[in-house]
Amino acid sequence: MKKTIFPFTAIIAQERMKRALILNAINPKIGGLLIRGEKGTAKSTAVRALADLLPVFDTVEGCRFNCNPHETNNLCRECEEKLKVNEEVKVEKRNMKVVELPVSATEDRVVGTIDIEHALKNGEKKFEVGILAQGNRNILYVDEVNLLDDHIVDVLLDAAAMGVNTVEREGVSYAHPSNFVLVGTMNPEEGDLRPQFIDRFGLSVEVMGEENVKDRMNVIKRRLEYERDPIAFCEKFKEEQNNLTNTILKAKENLQDVKISDQVLELIALISITLEVDGHRADITMIKTALTIATLEGRKEVEFKDVKEAANLVFPHRLRKRPFDQGKALSNTLDEVVERCREQVSM
Amino acid sequence: MQRASKHVVFNNKCPYPFTAIVGKDAVKKAIMMNVINPKVGGVLIVGEKGTAKSTLVRSFGQILPEIEIINLPLNISEDRLIGSLDLKYAVEKGEKRLETGLLHQAHGNILYVDEVNLLSRGIGNMILDVWSSGVNTIEREGMSYSHRANFTLIGTMNPEEGLLSTSFLDRFGLYVEVKGERDVINRLEIMKRRMEYESNPESFYDKYKDSSLDLREKIIRAKEIIKEVKVSKEILKASVELCKASRSIGHRGDIYLVEAAKAIASLEDRKEVEFSHLKEAAKFVLPHRIMEPREKPQEESEEKRNNNESNNENNNQNPQENQSREIDNNESKHIEEENKLDIDSDYQSTHENKDLENKSKTIMEDISDIGSIFNVKDIDIQINDTIIRKGSGRRSKTLTGMTQGRYIKAVIPKGKPKDIAIDATLRTSALYQKQRGRKDKLIIKESDFRKKVREKRTGNTLLFVVDGSGSMGAKKRMKAVKGAIVSLLMDAYQKRDKVGMITFRGDSAEEMLQVTRSVDFAKDKLKDLPTGGRTPLSAGLIKGYQILRSTMLKDKDTIPVLVLITDGKANNALGLGDPVEEAISICQDISQKGIKALVIDTESGFIQMGLAKEVAKALDAQYYKLEELKDENIERVVRNIL
Repeated sequence: MKKTIFPFTAIIAQERMKRALILNAINPKIGGLLIRGEKGTAKSTAVRALADLLPVFDTVEGCRFNCNPHETNNLCRECEEKLKVNEEVKVEKRNMKVVELPVSATEDRVVGTIDIEHALKNGEKKFEVGILAQGNRNILYVDEVNLLDDHIVDVLLDAAAMGVNTVEREGVSYAHPSNFVLVGTMNPEEGDLRPQFIDRFGLSVEVMGEENVKDRMNVIKRRLEYERDPIAFCEKFKEEQNNLTNTILKAKENLQDVKISDQVLELIALISITLEVDGHRADITMIKTALTIATLEGRKEVEFKDVKEAANLVFPHRLRKRPFDQGKALSNTLDEVVERCREQVSM
Repeated sequence: MQRASKHVVFNNKCPYPFTAIVGKDAVKKAIMMNVINPKVGGVLIVGEKGTAKSTLVRSFGQILPEIEIINLPLNISEDRLIGSLDLKYAVEKGEKRLETGLLHQAHGNILYVDEVNLLSRGIGNMILDVWSSGVNTIEREGMSYSHRANFTLIGTMNPEEGLLSTSFLDRFGLYVEVKGERDVINRLEIMKRRMEYESNPESFYDKYKDSSLDLREKIIRAKEIIKEVKVSKEILKASVELCKASRSIGHRGDIYLVEAAKAIASLEDRKEVEFSHLKEAAKFVLPHRIMEPREKPQEESEEKRNNNESNNENNNQNPQENQSREIDNNESKHIEEENKLDIDSDYQSTHENKDLENKSKTIMEDISDIGSIFNVKDIDIQINDTIIRKGSGRRSKTLTGMTQGRYIKAVIPKGKPKDIAIDATLRTSALYQKQRGRKDKLIIKESDFRKKVREKRTGNTLLFVVDGSGSMGAKKRMKAVKGAIVSLLMDAYQKRDKVGMITFRGDSAEEMLQVTRSVDFAKDKLKDLPTGGRTPLSAGLIKGYQILRSTMLKDKDTIPVLVLITDGKANNALGLGDPVEEAISICQDISQKGIKALVIDTESGFIQMGLAKEVAKALDAQYYKLEELKDENIERVVRNIL
């Protein structure tokens, strides 16, 4: 029996979180999402539910690292050898997946390790892949990401820096592509993320428990209904699921046609400078997010409101200068800054 | 000796081109200087996140493909770093042969360590050792080899994550800081190029091919020229003078200065080093070597403020008044000195009404703001026991018995091994395979087993027990104390300690903050920490003990530390006895329960009773005066000097 997943479209409210996840499904280059909030706010449910909506991608047949056959400049060693021998690689379709990295995972499971069986049988070393290999071109999901051990965070940072996982341990020497979309959930009361790490998340959203009584009741109702008969429940949402999948596909197709004017770029630069964020990752993420919002809305041109929405997803977790300073801008001051910058570029 | 059978280099063939990176000229130049003249001694690139630090280094590989850029991952294990027994060869031939590690590969190349400040101590020391001597000596698994390993080390770090050890820092010849671009036009350009690259890496890469080739030629030419570059006596003398004048530490500064100046001269097609070259070299060589008290101007203003404060104290002793003064002191920081008095009186009048209202409160409270923040001395909490722990953090290094932590090396296990080091076990067995008559599968015997040694710095649980009594508030000590606590919190953050806080004043102690990993929360709570009332030291100590005891029960692997911040002037006992004596006997009890403690003495003034010192003695605690916490050693100005 196929395991059912609680349908994404059956999740009530939490619109911003859902939207941020969808944006990442359309354009993985946005670079992931950090979901902050208390327990029981459907954080994990939403991330896991996203798996159902993820698109299909082309990959080299049988590749352990999901190599992209259309990017021959960026192949793993095994695919490169195949390419050398056959001059062409066979293509297969794979579904983009949500790969979970449990908080308790050991380092060798994450980065990969020596293949024991092979070593015992043949007296030779061979690399056995880890979670980072599976994560290539997929979503890497860490529940309670703030509880992740420090040395695992180091490894993730290392891989994220260039999209490559370099292994030099336990007698093995290996490197392979590892471009993952990092999605994490956390309860901020239990501890913070390192600033370096937090910057690796493209977007962030804050989730809160549902205040509205009616919505709250609906949440419970749906959950109970799902638990009673998961298959029937999923069937009920099938059409909505299909619609959303199609919307995502269409948006993905049109993404490359969306235009962004110099004026908008200037606005984005100005916002970043005004907010004094570190580095340039925020700017680039802003552009990508604004482009993706526009395509999701079925437009071919980025508008001011896209930038405004993008700013609210890109900046909140980046507005802390030091490990200690509380983010100085709340959502409304953020909007104010965006509006002020708009006047300056006379949009 | 065998070079690692097939070292896998995975490289994107169309990386973001080096010459397409906007600005960052200093970093680019520093990398080039190292290639032109390896004697400049490597470079440490320091900067905030997302400033193309990694991109800069890695993309340089395309300019000079003959020089390999070898990426050293943080989780490297000893065998892959220095080399180990060639498994396959040993199995097949029954003979020893070395399979080389990264240090061998690095010979004549660039060794690149991203986040160099996060390297484990053991690995860091090994690298430093080989880097300094230029020779890698391998004495392990019954093998004895050595080979030359001259490489250029390029490291990047983000200072938010903690500092680099001084020995490592000194060894870097050059130092560059990178910052994000603050200019809109440049920022626009960065975005546009990045987007263009991402939409089509190949064509973008081709677009910059010419400029890459030009740069390549420039470097190759400079490499030729530098062989002929001359250094006059005047320049040599000037470089020594420059080092002296800038009070740079260590002896290497002047050598690096000259070598860097030579590289700069050769880049400019000059065959003689000029003063301008030396001056430019100094910007790279000296910043991390200068000893100078940090933030001097601020300290001065601090002093002025203190003077101001003591004046205020003479006028009145009302804690509420003091609070309002506290605020205006901060305000007036930005305002001309002459205006200060006027503003003071303005503030007083507006606050007078509020004061009257508040006076009806039973306990007079004063909330002071947070004083100056500094780098904390390296307080290493010693662990004398042999319990194997498994927490995570960075303060106290401990060996972990779990399958967590970084696998550093392998040892012969005592008894039945649990965490088997497969690679080491196989290597041990490899030589005996012929002898044991292997047909296909390897024959492993119990004597082959090796166990992993993992290293992990265990975070402590720091419980701040803060004296909130009137004696702290009225004497304006609280502000400095808060500054010190924040400094300790920053330190705790970098070392991944957990923190909690209780305060004692009036008749009781109160838990302000449950033990948490979030130091942000702690700082928030601290802001609102009030002072006033008597000093129930005993109550504070007992509460602290209770919390630490329950923490220990919940989490066996943490090392509990009680950080007591007080002047020791207990005047409110739990029983009927003398409050100080009572507190001291409680201290002795706590000490016997094996809780580590740190006492920070806040007493100030001419007549000191030294009670906190007695408390520290009873607690068997490390003792610091508030003023002693600052680490002068770290107070090096890392700033461009010219």
